[in-house]
Amino acid sequence: MSDHLVSLENVEVHFEESQGLLDFGDPEVVQAVDGVSLDIEENDVVALVGESGCGKTTLGKTAIGLQRPTGGSVSYRGQDIWDAKDNRGDVDIPHDEIRRSLQIIHQDPGSSLNPNRRVMKILEAPLKRWQGQMSAGDRRREVLSMLERVGMTPPGDYAGRYPHQLSGGEKQRVALVRALLMDPDLILADEAISALDVSLRVEMMDLMLDLQAQFDTSFIAVSHDLSNARYFASHGDGRIGVMYLGRLVEIGPAEEIITNPKHPYTKVLRWATPDLRAGVDSGDPPVRKIDIPDPKNPPSGCRFHTRCPEARDACLREDPGAYDVGSDHEVACFRELDEHEYWSSSPLADDELDDTSSPASTK
Amino acid sequence: MSMHESTTDRDLYQTADPIVEIRDAEVVFEMDRGVSRVLESADLDIERNEILGIVGESGSGKSMLASAMLDAVVEPGILSGQITYHPDERESVDVLELDDRELKKLRWEDISMVFQGAMSSFNPTMNVGGHFTETLDAHNYDVEAGMNRARELLSDLYLEPERVLEAYPHELSGGMKQRALIALSVVLEPDVLVMDEPTAALDLLMQRSILSLLEKLKEKYDLTLVFITHDLPLVAELADRMAVMYAFQLVEIGPTEEILEHAAHPYTRALLNATPNLDAPLSEMRPIDGSAPDPVDVPAGCSYHPRCPLADDTCVATDPDYHGVSESHGVACHHWAHAAEEIPFNVDAAEATTGGNQR
Repeated sequence: MSDHLVSLENVEVHFEESQGLLDFGDPEVVQAVDGVSLDIEENDVVALVGESGCGKTTLGKTAIGLQRPTGGSVSYRGQDIWDAKDNRGDVDIPHDEIRRSLQIIHQDPGSSLNPNRRVMKILEAPLKRWQGQMSAGDRRREVLSMLERVGMTPPGDYAGRYPHQLSGGEKQRVALVRALLMDPDLILADEAISALDVSLRVEMMDLMLDLQAQFDTSFIAVSHDLSNARYFASHGDGRIGVMYLGRLVEIGPAEEIITNPKHPYTKVLRWATPDLRAGVDSGDPPVRKIDIPDPKNPPSGCRFHTRCPEARDACLREDPGAYDVGSDHEVACFRELDEHEYWSSSPLADDELDDTSSPASTK
Repeated sequence: MSMHESTTDRDLYQTADPIVEIRDAEVVFEMDRGVSRVLESADLDIERNEILGIVGESGSGKSMLASAMLDAVVEPGILSGQITYHPDERESVDVLELDDRELKKLRWEDISMVFQGAMSSFNPTMNVGGHFTETLDAHNYDVEAGMNRARELLSDLYLEPERVLEAYPHELSGGMKQRALIALSVVLEPDVLVMDEPTAALDLLMQRSILSLLEKLKEKYDLTLVFITHDLPLVAELADRMAVMYAFQLVEIGPTEEILEHAAHPYTRALLNATPNLDAPLSEMRPIDGSAPDPVDVPAGCSYHPRCPLADDTCVATDPDYHGVSESHGVACHHWAHAAEEIPFNVDAAEATTGGNQR
């Protein structure tokens, strides 16, 4: 029995892309997540960053038991989530309880709330489902007090509104309250703030962090924006995990990832994050190509080698493992090993890669 | 009233060689709840060959300003004011006086626009090449020469021309589609390219890559760029000048560096402080209190006064004029001279108190 709240071991999620009715060939497989291990503790914050299509949302959904992995295992307090779901072996924690403990806030607050129901009705539903013994009066009081806690005052006024009468930030707060009413151990915030205005993002993140402290909830925050991920993870004393094409390429304490990034891809993301101090011209993107390779046919060896400015011959052949570079800081790159054939192999020239779209070649 | 001399003359929004002049532009919508003024007396010059960033939150009127520039405000919105386009070698054009045919010509051949939500700008049943030939054809351009230009533009944007021209929109990723759309909007060789949140749906790495490509495109094709976004840090590195909008008004205009270092409007300063930044200390980031006003019910006086820590009776009573912070930097605020003192930048605050003791 492990102590981890949620533990992912060598998780693999492959999606088969159907080929249409008349095609009987092998279906194409998208490797959304491939060989990722990650432990989440009580009161933990993990921010997953990466480009669209890197598998960060799929990994998050796998961690909260919404996506069944095609390989590896996911467990909640030592109980395999999918064994519990299928009633296999000795089930210590029933699936219902696991389901309640792991919640999600979706990206688009507009489409995650039923437009035909008032806020009160939306928020009563989880309480009715999970705390059936609660009286109607207590239920309403609970909902109102939670609304007040997330700053929606007067709560009575907000409880009577329909979702379309709320602003984007308010809708996202309602979604947050709905998740919190389940008294969860872990909430997946899937780009929960990227639909909000820049000036509202800090406020929403502060609110989630406040609630994390009050309710001891852990968070997995999925984001494509390194500065938001840093704000959230650093304040929650958590980690940032960087994903690329289904792999976790670097993970470590938030400030460590920001101030001392090791993986060339993390450095690329750092480049992509705007700096408000004026006058610095950051120049060309520090990648060989600006488009991500097709996840149906990921590059051999290190998956980043087609875009990596540091790539050498060795990266074509061998897939790097995760190497420890400090406390809690792991990097999947040969450059972290002092003795590796990487250092003696020759750098990749751009024309060895089948592309015409490299920043360097058109200069 | 303000102790500082109020500069009401036109110097502040005038530039040396404007390609587009916007004077007193106003857009109103008649609604059941009352008249909704979604753009209020906007005065702005767009300098030839500059990159201008227009920044504001959702619902601040920034898209309306862009639509106004092309007389493209949707019904039942009513646009008034004066928009003048000064082409390189032709007579100046009064945009609001053009008939439909002239307007159509102006919109693609002189001032071109990339709209928000580029993903839906392509016809899903036509390949990308089809969009190019159709556009060239509709404007009576030589299709063959135009397609050569298209190929060059696509490779300038790091796309493989032949592959992209043959592809249907759904076969391209979001970033590729967006770049193809930029190529399409430049294929008729316009002077001005107006982009409304052109990168909002993309991830940061793609956004930044597109921005660095735009800079090159601008140099190569002699374009004037107007970049509209809610994301101030994103445009800060690209833009030569920035115009900040709040509640349907332009509240501050100036060179990017001046705005970043000496923003004089309390809203601009609060916006800068509210933006997560990898180099700012975490403890100093704070949200802007309150929320943006309803277009039907904009506060009297300065529309920012309910949220502004500097607000006093003057701000409630009178709408501030433009004040000159420097020759090229204007701000609509009664208390602009005290803004820096009252609302310190969090980056500066941290530098001033190195080693802790931050407020």
